[in-house]
Amino acid sequence: MSENNFLNKALDNTVLNRRSFLKWSGALGGTAVLAGGMSYGFKAVEAAREAASTEEKWVAAACWHNCGGRCLLKAQVVDGVVTRVKTDDTHPDSPDYPQQRGCVRGRSQRMQVFAADRLKYPMKRKNWEPGGGRKELRGKDEWVRISWDEALDIIASETKRIAEKYGNESIYAVAPGEIQRTLRLLGGHSTGWGMTSWGTWTDTPKIVGSYTVSYSNTGNDRLRLRKSKLIIMWGANPAVSSNGSPTFNYLQAKNAGAKFIFVDPYYNESAQVLADQWIPIRPATDLAMLLGMAYVMITEDDPVTNPLIDWEFLNKCTVGFDAEHMPEGADPKESFKDYVLGTYDGVPKNPAWAAERCGVPPEQIRQLAIEYAITKPTMVICGGASTRIHRGSSTSQAFITLACMTGNIGIPGAGTGLSCHNRAGNAGPPLVRAGSSSVPGISNPVETRINYNQVWNAVLDGKYIAGKDDTRDINIQMIYHGGYITLNQCTGLTKGIEAHRSVEFVVTQGHFYNTDARYSDVVLPITTQWERYGTFTSGNREALFFSSQVVEPLFETKDDMWVAAELGKRLGLDANEIDPVSIEQQVFNQLAGAKVIMANGVDYEPLVTLTAADIAEMGVEGEPQQGRISYREFKEKGSYQVPRSEGDNFGFTEFEDYRNDPETFARETPSGKIEIHCQTYADTVEGYGFTPKSPIATWDQIEEGIEDTYADWDNKVKGDYPLQLYTIHYKRRSHSILDNVPWLREFFPQEFMMNPIDARARGLRSGDTVQITSRHGTVIRPLYVTERMIPGVTTLGEGAWVEMDEETGVDKAGATNILNGPIATDQGNLGFNSCNVQVKKYDGPIDLKPDVEWPQRIIFKEA
Amino acid sequence: MSKQLAFYFNSSACTDCKACMAACKDKNDLPVGINWRRVIKYGGGHWLPYHRNKDMWVPSNVFNYAISVACMHCQSPLCVEVCPAGGISKREDGVVLIDQDACIGCRYCEWACPYGAPQFDEEAGVMTKCTLCSDLLDKGQNPACVDACVMRALDFGDLDELRAKYGDVDAIEPLPRANITEPSIVITPHRDAEMSGSGTGRIISMPEEV
Repeated sequence: MSENNFLNKALDNTVLNRRSFLKWSGALGGTAVLAGGMSYGFKAVEAAREAASTEEKWVAAACWHNCGGRCLLKAQVVDGVVTRVKTDDTHPDSPDYPQQRGCVRGRSQRMQVFAADRLKYPMKRKNWEPGGGRKELRGKDEWVRISWDEALDIIASETKRIAEKYGNESIYAVAPGEIQRTLRLLGGHSTGWGMTSWGTWTDTPKIVGSYTVSYSNTGNDRLRLRKSKLIIMWGANPAVSSNGSPTFNYLQAKNAGAKFIFVDPYYNESAQVLADQWIPIRPATDLAMLLGMAYVMITEDDPVTNPLIDWEFLNKCTVGFDAEHMPEGADPKESFKDYVLGTYDGVPKNPAWAAERCGVPPEQIRQLAIEYAITKPTMVICGGASTRIHRGSSTSQAFITLACMTGNIGIPGAGTGLSCHNRAGNAGPPLVRAGSSSVPGISNPVETRINYNQVWNAVLDGKYIAGKDDTRDINIQMIYHGGYITLNQCTGLTKGIEAHRSVEFVVTQGHFYNTDARYSDVVLPITTQWERYGTFTSGNREALFFSSQVVEPLFETKDDMWVAAELGKRLGLDANEIDPVSIEQQVFNQLAGAKVIMANGVDYEPLVTLTAADIAEMGVEGEPQQGRISYREFKEKGSYQVPRSEGDNFGFTEFEDYRNDPETFARETPSGKIEIHCQTYADTVEGYGFTPKSPIATWDQIEEGIEDTYADWDNKVKGDYPLQLYTIHYKRRSHSILDNVPWLREFFPQEFMMNPIDARARGLRSGDTVQITSRHGTVIRPLYVTERMIPGVTTLGEGAWVEMDEETGVDKAGATNILNGPIATDQGNLGFNSCNVQVKKYDGPIDLKPDVEWPQRIIFKEA
Repeated sequence: MSKQLAFYFNSSACTDCKACMAACKDKNDLPVGINWRRVIKYGGGHWLPYHRNKDMWVPSNVFNYAISVACMHCQSPLCVEVCPAGGISKREDGVVLIDQDACIGCRYCEWACPYGAPQFDEEAGVMTKCTLCSDLLDKGQNPACVDACVMRALDFGDLDELRAKYGDVDAIEPLPRANITEPSIVITPHRDAEMSGSGTGRIISMPEEV
């Protein structure tokens, strides 16, 4: 790079110098995938690339990951190799009818499928023997390539042996669904549960007042959102966690005049574009801020001179706000209003009380309270983050409570609640959807479900909590992994590794040598969606994506269903029951059952015209039908998107019907109303058996919240873990997927973020390798010092594949679940954003290179 | 010159997502280490202690924004001037192209360019650079980065027409001042953008990212 160019300014800010920066190309030249420009790293592909011509054949290609985007991806195929990708160009682009453009990850998809580090052949651990062999070597043993027959024989015999010796409950299998079919026919398996993404938004709205559509999908559709005067983005960063169209849609609301306020520990990428105001807040303290705001509304409200509270809505549509409107049988002293005022506990939850916890100055809490109360319509868009904490149930409840207090509910442009992932900012029932594949389910004879926070301790200690006052014994001896990457993605990863080294058998099927595969005995290479017949991607309210096979299966990879059926045969099961419907027939069924909304906004009609010739071509059984578009067009375009415009009949506002007619549209609660005081909610949360819950939203000291960063809270003396850590979706990955793609590793270095004030106090600079330690483990990472982070708070992207240094017990990748403890609370949700850490300059023996320079995890090269 | 093609970039809409970088790498088959288009973050500000609580702070002018930068296809391109092999030229439409057959790999252009546009391909021993996807332009298609932008923050076209449509800003921090090479770029500044030469912030990208 030039000495003169402007980018050298970037290098001046860090301890890394230009020399180390330029070393990349040399270092990378040594790895197979990067040698010779763009080659993918195996011979067949290199040959095809040579042959790449200018002829353009584009195939609609799946972008199948569990990210928050739902976009169109197309692959240019030359001689069985993808030479380029592109995104939606199926119709002219406009804000009302936008193309569904893909993100940086979709754009890098071919580097994942055609990667030198794909799992290519079945393999077993060198020191594996029936019963486990040297189990302590899991994660560090060598690998032996084996045939599919040998691999399936091993899995079948170990499964049988373990099921007979310890019972089917001893087999823990979360995914994939295909292998679960086999295990269920064999007698069943234990499984896991717990909300990883959406915090406590799963139970809250359903129980306290029941959203009508779904918990990830509330508020307004994107056109009605343009009616909002104020949009408060609370712990929401759609530009990262819902890449694709959502942020572009929010920009239209801004262009239409909405003011955007961001409440977030980090001045995030969405705020960068949308924010009129940023209110920095500490993680896991949003509830304190909400209670402080409620205090302002309650104490400053005057129905005549200063109306801040919508009494009409509260009295007509809710119960539990004040002593005069309690649900039947409830103690009148338990009203939300009296709790906030401190009538009975002597603690007014005023802005000063809130500020001490959430770090937002009291005057700013008051300002937001009044602005929210007097601005109609206001939409509060919540990501999952604010409730992705220990005991988050009161936080989601408080958001709903405040929306009721301000009356910002049931009015176009107003609302509150979770609006994230693939429906961020675009609520309402799907306008187009695929039909059912018609594969009948198989029920699980074993009912054992272990909370994700507890599962590794359950393996090690033989106990788990099944409900209130219900602790049960368990003896897990086999773990079957395939797709959910649960070892890497559940809290308590350190315990998880220990648990994996304790059981008798671990098997993983997947695409890469990820964390699950690494700690296994047998690993099976699986096809990606690009190597399969076809699939549908739903979740985008307005578009349905239909992708086709892009390439033949690479190496010796097989489909999950093939593995399930072959294993079933070896276990004496009926393979036809495991795999009853061919993939071609499943795709046909989904096409034939696909429906699209009609102009009246109420009725649906068939989406796809299927002719006898189409049916013959697919080789399936079915009847011809008339739909809106031809099979050929759908397949070629890869998507059908419902055009939208102002004034169409596809608008949606949550609670609009209920607000207008609370009798007819009564809620499914005991009172028929939205319950600010909700005994059912408290009972449900307590029923999980972890922690107590009040019927109203109350502040309780949570595990590893702000209070736990102090040794002495009253005198504000910090403790051993004085900083808060929360974890973010990271642009490099969709959760853990795509972490290994070199382009993405180059673009996004998995940096650990901290404010300059905290860095200075520790003598740290950007680029330093720092050691981050929680009560549960230690990771090392390059430091990124930024004013965009509130002081006292740090963050790291979730999903990096753990890379444990066996000598020192330190994780080099920055896998956040090394830091997040296995703490089960509340609704069993995973409390990633309540965690305390200490940070110092790393002074150990490891020379931490940038991730992009790490060798790829290539176990076997192409034979 | 009859025509000058140029990029347009809307900094106020850029979320720093890097889809343009991936689209560029994908279309042009670029390895790790070579990025003809780069997204660079710029920001600044500081925090003040809050008077009533020693652990509380309030932000003061904390800001950041991103710029997406490729070759500027300058009107006075220094790379053309310094190339001893005469291997860099401007096309009829103003696009600056490297003739890799002529390139001797001396890297003078890399040294001269204030935007970091020419990048050395160690494998091939020659310089590489954004071509404005001239091959796609010749087929009547758009540059890959323009079609990739999820925020519709990128556009391209004739420089005069872009200026008529979007204004004539051609340098915001951290870009150098435009008088060095007369870059063919039109920028809509972010609301917090600082003009080149009068910045209070700094590049805040990690060195691994640029």
